[in-house]
Amino acid sequence: MKLLNLFRRKKPSAAAAGEEFFKKKYQSFKNLLEANNAALEVMSHMEATQEGDYVFDLQFIRASAESILEKVQTIVQELNTLGDNRYAELVKVYQNIAAKIQNETEAAPPSLSVPLVLPLSQVDRRFLLQVGGKNANLGEIKNRLQLPTPEGFVLTNEAYRLVLAENRLTEPLASLVKELDIDNIEQLTEKSQILREMLLPAKIPQRLVEEVNQQYGQLVAALNYEPYLALRSSGLYEDLESSFAGQFLTVLNVPFDRFFPSYLEVLASQFTPTALVYLSQKRLLQRQLAMSVGCLAMVPARSSGVMFTADPTGSRGDVLVIDAAWGLGPAVVDGTLTPDHYVLSKQPALDLLEQQISRKPRRWIAADRGIAEEAVPLEEGSQPALTRDELLTLGRYALQLEEYFGSPQDIEFSVDLQGRIILLQSRPLTLLTPRATGILPPHLEERHPVLLDHGTVACFGVAAGPVFMVDHQADLSHFPDGAILVARHTTARYGAVLHKAAGMVIDIGSATSHLAILAREFKLPALVDTGKATQVLRPGQEITVDANQIRVYDGRLEEILQAPVAKTSLLAETPIYARLRRVLRWITPLRLTDPKLANFTPAACQTLHDITRFAHQMAVTEMFELGEQARQGEVHMVQLQTNIPLNLYIIDLGGGIRADHRGRFVSPEDITSIPLRALWRGISHPEISWAGPIPIDMRGLYSVVSRSLTAAAPQHADFWARTLAIVSENYLNYSSRLGYHFATIDALVSDVRNDNYLSFRFKGGAADESRRGRRARFLGEVLTRLDLEVDITGDLVVARLWKYPRPLLEEKLDLLGRLMGCARQRDMVMADESTVEWYIQAFLEGNYRFAGEPGSVANPDQG
Amino acid sequence: MSAKILIIDDEPDMLIMLEMIITDKTAYQVVTTTNPLELPELLAQENFNLVITDLKMPAKDGIEVIETVKSHNPDIPVVVITAFGTLESAEEAVRRGAYDFITKPFRKEQILVAIARALEWQRITQENRELRNRMEAEKTAAKTSGPPGD
Repeated sequence: MKLLNLFRRKKPSAAAAGEEFFKKKYQSFKNLLEANNAALEVMSHMEATQEGDYVFDLQFIRASAESILEKVQTIVQELNTLGDNRYAELVKVYQNIAAKIQNETEAAPPSLSVPLVLPLSQVDRRFLLQVGGKNANLGEIKNRLQLPTPEGFVLTNEAYRLVLAENRLTEPLASLVKELDIDNIEQLTEKSQILREMLLPAKIPQRLVEEVNQQYGQLVAALNYEPYLALRSSGLYEDLESSFAGQFLTVLNVPFDRFFPSYLEVLASQFTPTALVYLSQKRLLQRQLAMSVGCLAMVPARSSGVMFTADPTGSRGDVLVIDAAWGLGPAVVDGTLTPDHYVLSKQPALDLLEQQISRKPRRWIAADRGIAEEAVPLEEGSQPALTRDELLTLGRYALQLEEYFGSPQDIEFSVDLQGRIILLQSRPLTLLTPRATGILPPHLEERHPVLLDHGTVACFGVAAGPVFMVDHQADLSHFPDGAILVARHTTARYGAVLHKAAGMVIDIGSATSHLAILAREFKLPALVDTGKATQVLRPGQEITVDANQIRVYDGRLEEILQAPVAKTSLLAETPIYARLRRVLRWITPLRLTDPKLANFTPAACQTLHDITRFAHQMAVTEMFELGEQARQGEVHMVQLQTNIPLNLYIIDLGGGIRADHRGRFVSPEDITSIPLRALWRGISHPEISWAGPIPIDMRGLYSVVSRSLTAAAPQHADFWARTLAIVSENYLNYSSRLGYHFATIDALVSDVRNDNYLSFRFKGGAADESRRGRRARFLGEVLTRLDLEVDITGDLVVARLWKYPRPLLEEKLDLLGRLMGCARQRDMVMADESTVEWYIQAFLEGNYRFAGEPGSVANPDQG
Repeated sequence: MSAKILIIDDEPDMLIMLEMIITDKTAYQVVTTTNPLELPELLAQENFNLVITDLKMPAKDGIEVIETVKSHNPDIPVVVITAFGTLESAEEAVRRGAYDFITKPFRKEQILVAIARALEWQRITQENRELRNRMEAEKTAAKTSGPPGD
């Protein structure tokens, strides 16, 4: 009762006792309920859309989110009206969540002239279509998260289009790309060459030259020196949902006088055979003919690396993985050496769990007008490339990025000569879950010797095929379908044949390399860091790669070959679905469940659903409070005395309770409100059982228990079971929360038929989603057969009836009372679809006790 | 021979999803573009059995797309995709010759059904036209060659 005390006013003012005052408050309460119902309806709709199978666009996400925001804003306002501004804190919470949602749904303001060049300090995700995914994400890191990133500017897609247009290349490039056959590597290589040769000699338009000069001038002014630049490509969809790992070129340490030739090199990199195959596989070929280039002041790197905010092979939960080496970035991701490998725990505290320090004999450094590889002194080569402090700082950044972008991230970074960490990019990480290989047959190794039993999993699975060794580009054109790719290094250009390969085994390289990322995206069983695959395996030799157990066998092991995972992509993996998921994480999850817990506060609201839950609870509490204060006035609150454990409080607006019974308690006979009397007839129907637990089967119980682990556990099923009815002679507003269920009835029943209406809503439940869905179906079907107009979205049931004559509406309310009693915990028993039909029939036949229930456990010993 | 479908929408997201649904579930060939101004050229290059277009696009609206398609070949059905709450413009599109419209957001089955119906219409329309042409030709042939003798 602490909550109630919190809001209890010392003394009701004279005005507070007045009917007008109460009516005004009641209007706020009604507005709040209406907005609450409407918000929940749109939320359910968005949730249903997220389940997949829908086609929608950003406009749908934006419109739905705006509609919910508007309703929740009303809720917050009305709650403050109701509670004399005692929930001002909720306004800030709302604004904070609204800003997060708008950040996800915003688009760049439509402008007639798209800039050719934008300073990085002005870039964020709203400019996605102009700057591409990689630059947009980097802009977010710089400008919204304010984490350390390089200074620089971005040449937008518009700059690329201008280059093509002024050189009359738009049409010729498009038609060349259109007719590509990605299975014909020779043709692909040839066309790739033609495309590059068309683009590289292009003349840079004067307008672009001027804008770049101006931006570089500003960069020089800001840094106080003339920096060399790193030119990083950024495709339209790159780093959003498809990784594009290593597909497009990055040119490091470019002096400004070499700027435009390097820019053209980067643009041309979308036409390498590997990139063309990747684009085609991702169905982006027709649309990807646009590219933005980020131009960043070069970071003279002491060390560089990549960081995954989850174990990419999915075998360990709650860890961060960091790979790092000396010098500039390429050493880590191009797979030419084995980097240091660090594993950090995320929970309960960020900490270094393990480290494998490798000998790193070489490093890339910024050299005169480019980069060069150099030998690392022997003693330095074996030292860790990162300090413990640097690892922990990186870990903190990683957690921030994962939280902000809403999914596990793949992050590139450098540490400069002064030990400062600079983030270079962040993109979504493809994760795979390990799969178990079946039980191995006996004497297997006699028939199929183990050829390799050492390495790191890059992608789980089992595959068999002939060995195909690759070591330079020429080999790729003959890569046969279904072969196992075997190579010395994880070179990203092998990506060009991954769609043909059955599996992959590599001598040196890490699971964080670009090729490993691509293998996971193509769901290709793959081992890296096996040390000696190219020495042990022979070209053409039939082998079986079991990445699940890190074994390579001689011959084909049909026994353990699993059905290949389909490579077709699902609708739910498209960028727009990802966008919907990102928006929904601020809208639908409900963390605030139990008002008895200490964290039932505005500050604990993390989503709009939390706010509606909190506000609704507080609004009902406020109404109780008002009712208590107003007892002496025109309006008053009473509690119904009954054996049914409903805890029903009634606020009478006039004519709802017998005028001569104005005590604190009333009996059902004192109710004069026509709709409440009708409803009560149903609730108190002799065949309806409100007391005692109902039988549940074991799986039903389990689903309640497991849900309680993620939500706050109620102390008993009917916690906080105060039900409020606001009535007048002809009106009823009834809201009850039983356990997790939430039911409201709003009805007007009079002799004027045209004024009459009835609206019923039911949402939520303790059991898992499919069971709640079944109960929704049960309710929906029964209500439909009772002639109500029914709308079901997820587990939300809305039923309405208009302009019915009074006796019919009274009959419906009676049946609704019975139905609510029956539906009280009915989702626990509905273990499968066939039982739903049984319950529908039972209810319609008046078997309200559900004698002979199919899902019940008569004797717990049998369960 | 499998049918060829052209999809026009200024939002790449929509094109990705539609292409994915159609090519995963059917053998139809799909060509997509975000630029409706490419339409005349695309129509000239390939024989499409069906055009699916967004109604509201900055460069050229769906109504103009319908007109361009219909003047190129009246037998190509056009299915229009409209935003929620724009029923009036959808009806306008149908008045201007669209075969059908579908409102966002929609289930993937809905577009597949709309495509199947539109292609069926196209097949029947073409068969009818061929039949009519053949009858016309026979009539003309009968006239020019005079009454058949015994």
